[in-house]
Amino acid sequence: MAIIVNLDVMMAKRKMSLNELSEKVGLTLSNLSILKTGKARAIRFSTLEAICSVLDCQPGDILEYVNDERDNNEEWL
Amino acid sequence: MNMTKLNDIVFTVLKVIAWIIFVGLCIESGGLIVNFLFSIFNPDFVDKLYQKLDLSMLYKQSKWAFFSLYSFALTVSVLKAIMFYIVIEMLQKLDLRNPFSSIVAHKITVLSYYALSIGLLSFIAKQTGHNMEKHGYSTERLNQFWVDSDAFIIMAAVVFIIAQIFKRGVYVQQENDLTV
Repeated sequence: MAIIVNLDVMMAKRKMSLNELSEKVGLTLSNLSILKTGKARAIRFSTLEAICSVLDCQPGDILEYVNDERDNNEEWL
Repeated sequence: MNMTKLNDIVFTVLKVIAWIIFVGLCIESGGLIVNFLFSIFNPDFVDKLYQKLDLSMLYKQSKWAFFSLYSFALTVSVLKAIMFYIVIEMLQKLDLRNPFSSIVAHKITVLSYYALSIGLLSFIAKQTGHNMEKHGYSTERLNQFWVDSDAFIIMAAVVFIIAQIFKRGVYVQQENDLTV
């Protein structure tokens, strides 16, 4: 998928575990895991707001857009 | 009594009814097969059988007519039994608290195909029987097996629409499960 979730990077920067984040954000571990592994199809604004608030970051620090087609072409070349 | 408990009771009753119908259809199919074998090898014994479907007149008139019409009756009967087995399987898999699963959606789609096959086969058999009657064959005893052809075709259409709605439900459920 073209949107990459960099939640693990931000968690590492803030030295926060998944359990701790789960408690502070109020999300279940399974839902956080879905988000972290990039399996999520959508994210609610309220969830994004809670994560940004706890990790003290911007949505852009967690979500990143990567052009799949361009990446594939570069790999091919 | 709250709705959930009432739904559970209705669901259990539905399962029991599905099992009873399935057993009934199996008996009917088995009876037809036994009848078929006896009408070929020992026609005098047919009167003592469960179905009492004596088609020896038709057999004497034309073997081709006998085998083709009997094949229709047997196939429709067996398909009905298989269809109700799928209904039972679907009811076993169906969870009222989380009903939209891909397995149930698949079963409902298969059910619609079976209903359509039964309806079309019954319709073809009915028309063939009518045509044969015009040519002097006695097929009135077999008419009971395909009286409900129109009902099965309509049922297939309705069940197919339900299956499509169910597939959409499965998609929405998956979207919802993967929204954090």
